[in-house]
Amino acid sequence: MAGPLEGIRVLELARNVAGPFAGNLLADYGAEVLKVEPPTGDPARLAGPFPGDDPHPEKSGLFLHLNTNKRSITLDPSTAEGGDLVRRLAAGVDIVIEDFAPGQAAQWGFGWETLSEGRADLVMASITPFGQSGPYRDYLGTEITLQAIGGPLINTGHGEKEPLKLGGNVAHYHAGVTTAFAVMAAQLRAELDGEGDYIDISVQQCQAGFRDRRTIFVTAASYTGTARNRPVPGARLATGVRECRNGYVNVMAGRSIDSLLILIERPDLFAVVEPDVPPNQQPATVIETLETAYGEWLMEHDKHDVIARGQELRILCGAVLTIEDLLTDPHYRDRDVWDTLEHPVAGALEYPGAPLLMSASPRAEPRPAPLLGEHNEAVYGDELGIDRDELTRLNAAGVV
Amino acid sequence: MAKLPLEGIRVAAITVVWAGPHVTQLLAEWGAEVIRVEPINSVQRNSRGAENRMTREQAIAAAVIGGAGAPSWPDYEPGDDPWNRSAAFNSHSRNKRSMTCDVMSPEGREAFLKLIEVCDVFIENNVPETIEKAGLTWEALREVNPQLIMLRMPAFGLDGPYKNYRGFGTHVEGMIGHHYLRGYRDADPSYTGDAFTADGIAGVLGALAVTMGLRHRRRTGEGQQIEMPLAQAFLPVLGEFILDYTMNGRVTPPQGNTHPSHAPHGVYPCIGDDQWIAIDVATDEQFAALCETLDATALASDERFAGTEARWLNRDALDAALGAFTAPREKEQLFHELQAVGVPAAPTHDELEALADEHLNARGFFQEATIEGIGTHRYPGMTIEMANTPNEIRLPPPKLGEHNEYVYLDLLGYSRDEYESLIERGLVGTRYTPEALGEG
Repeated sequence: MAGPLEGIRVLELARNVAGPFAGNLLADYGAEVLKVEPPTGDPARLAGPFPGDDPHPEKSGLFLHLNTNKRSITLDPSTAEGGDLVRRLAAGVDIVIEDFAPGQAAQWGFGWETLSEGRADLVMASITPFGQSGPYRDYLGTEITLQAIGGPLINTGHGEKEPLKLGGNVAHYHAGVTTAFAVMAAQLRAELDGEGDYIDISVQQCQAGFRDRRTIFVTAASYTGTARNRPVPGARLATGVRECRNGYVNVMAGRSIDSLLILIERPDLFAVVEPDVPPNQQPATVIETLETAYGEWLMEHDKHDVIARGQELRILCGAVLTIEDLLTDPHYRDRDVWDTLEHPVAGALEYPGAPLLMSASPRAEPRPAPLLGEHNEAVYGDELGIDRDELTRLNAAGVV
Repeated sequence: MAKLPLEGIRVAAITVVWAGPHVTQLLAEWGAEVIRVEPINSVQRNSRGAENRMTREQAIAAAVIGGAGAPSWPDYEPGDDPWNRSAAFNSHSRNKRSMTCDVMSPEGREAFLKLIEVCDVFIENNVPETIEKAGLTWEALREVNPQLIMLRMPAFGLDGPYKNYRGFGTHVEGMIGHHYLRGYRDADPSYTGDAFTADGIAGVLGALAVTMGLRHRRRTGEGQQIEMPLAQAFLPVLGEFILDYTMNGRVTPPQGNTHPSHAPHGVYPCIGDDQWIAIDVATDEQFAALCETLDATALASDERFAGTEARWLNRDALDAALGAFTAPREKEQLFHELQAVGVPAAPTHDELEALADEHLNARGFFQEATIEGIGTHRYPGMTIEMANTPNEIRLPPPKLGEHNEYVYLDLLGYSRDEYESLIERGLVGTRYTPEALGEG
């Protein structure tokens, strides 16, 4: 199977996480994605992690993960000849994804105005920290700074400590999947009635529209005139992450005092509870009694037993597991969610597999990430018809 | 000016809480007609907040305690219909329609199947056993509409040991390792606090999945089921940590605000209560510019902080020292000063600061919507800007059952008598039944 996006051609002029993740999602589901890297490679090739912590441009975990099913060519877009090659490549694709600073692509000769000339059906997305317009358009932005000014960073963590960013590159992955949705929505229209579009993705704006609390809390602030704080653990009865016998669990046990007391097998404590008072607004002595009983019960039980029993009682709960727990968890093993891909330099490694399962149009058979410039000859020679001497000259000139 | 790209696509949704409604939010924003299918004889928990039976004073107290589920009605006033006033619901539901229908009843099931006949997409994010009990699996619905695209979003999967595990985004992110790795480096996981990142990612990925299903159908005429568990949708976001484990057997420890190679990298205190600036320094030039802006000659000349590697190795000492220099500074002013010299930095913005953010406002991000009887408020707008396709909120958030007549009479062809009969039997209406609200 080729996947539901078979026949869609994508030119990816993007680095690190956001643009490459967009390209990755499209490639995994069948689009033909050509990745254009500078001659030194996508900086993700230097990001790691590396096997044995030994840096190697073909062994960076971040790059290997984000570039499966793509082809790679090298090109210096800042040269006149490089810009010309980008225009020739763009003429043969449906979708262009780029992440240069605002105005940079236009300066190098492959901005939207140029590429869309005579190509009403072209879809192009530009991904930048703050978008193509507005007073901060030329400001620098990185994962942590964009989470801070756009997203729920201020709400994350402990009320008496500094706020915490979300893990890894969440904001850029989120902007990447947003880009993939945007270009596909536009592509559906382009295929139907020939109208393409230019899509402006701001990572800050994606964070401002992030469903992880931000849109809910901003609407709440708009309704009430008050901002949210960082909660202090323990503020809500028997809710949040707590220690148990062999680790930590996150159980919303206290949303209902009834189910809490059934969970911890302490029906005797019904007698101390004030009827018709919400759990968190019970008298302090009642809360203390219930918390003590809950804490004692947790320390007598293992994390998987706590959540199995909680789930039986339909209490929302989970455990705080590590990456090792995840990779050894029978649930995902049973569901076969991991891919083992054999890469010619990095070797055989286990990767996250399909994020979603389509019954009629399953994703394409996964192929490992390309070597740097692996497809230069195929693309420049066979597809653009550049002869060998010319290619040698471009190579020597540092263009490819 | 082009038409919205998903115009003409009709979506039925039995979605609850945060993730499923975000998928339909995006589809509705970009042109799809989304019809929420909601019961009135039982309450979908954590969706319209109808289970929050609080007074205004209790709601204010709950907001102070915090937690994502605290109800935030306009001015904290529950009113007569708190389920139409929920910030959590109204943050996603603009552009959608609401019909009331109990799919567990024979009459409701009949109406729902008629709706499925005229829909392109059906989206649900319930515990798998709920959809099985309702008899609304893909096997059943494909008989009614073989061209249907059915997106199912369980927490963990339609099979496997955790099949019927219930969870919010925060529970899912715990189970897949995100909670652990984003924890403080100097405090145990009970300090980390909830995040609902799995909802935020799955909400967008689900919308992409629907476009992929639509494309396949356009080429082949075939509908299908798409299974997208929240947990599985989040795995790509953990890719580099998963690969570190498969490459090196390394279990990523809690990362706090640190970066794998940059230092300083974190949030640093500024003037005021709970005011911070995020700073991310990758190069020697940026570090020199940072020190100069902060008049931090002591940092610039400190041997421990000379060079990127030394700074990273001594990052804890550097963070502590840097915090002393940022603490007397005003975060917005420092933000602009650091950007002027090429240092990536930005202040933390709480929700009121977000509403006042000059950049988001200059880009026209926030939009007004008016709900009858509730008033005009500003809402977060759209994450995506399309140059040739100007877009704005077309319909305000729907009240419970607001579009009953449109759906039953116009779309499904019920007679006025049949429709009235459903109202009499307590299956259709614009208020929850007293029994559902625990008043029966």
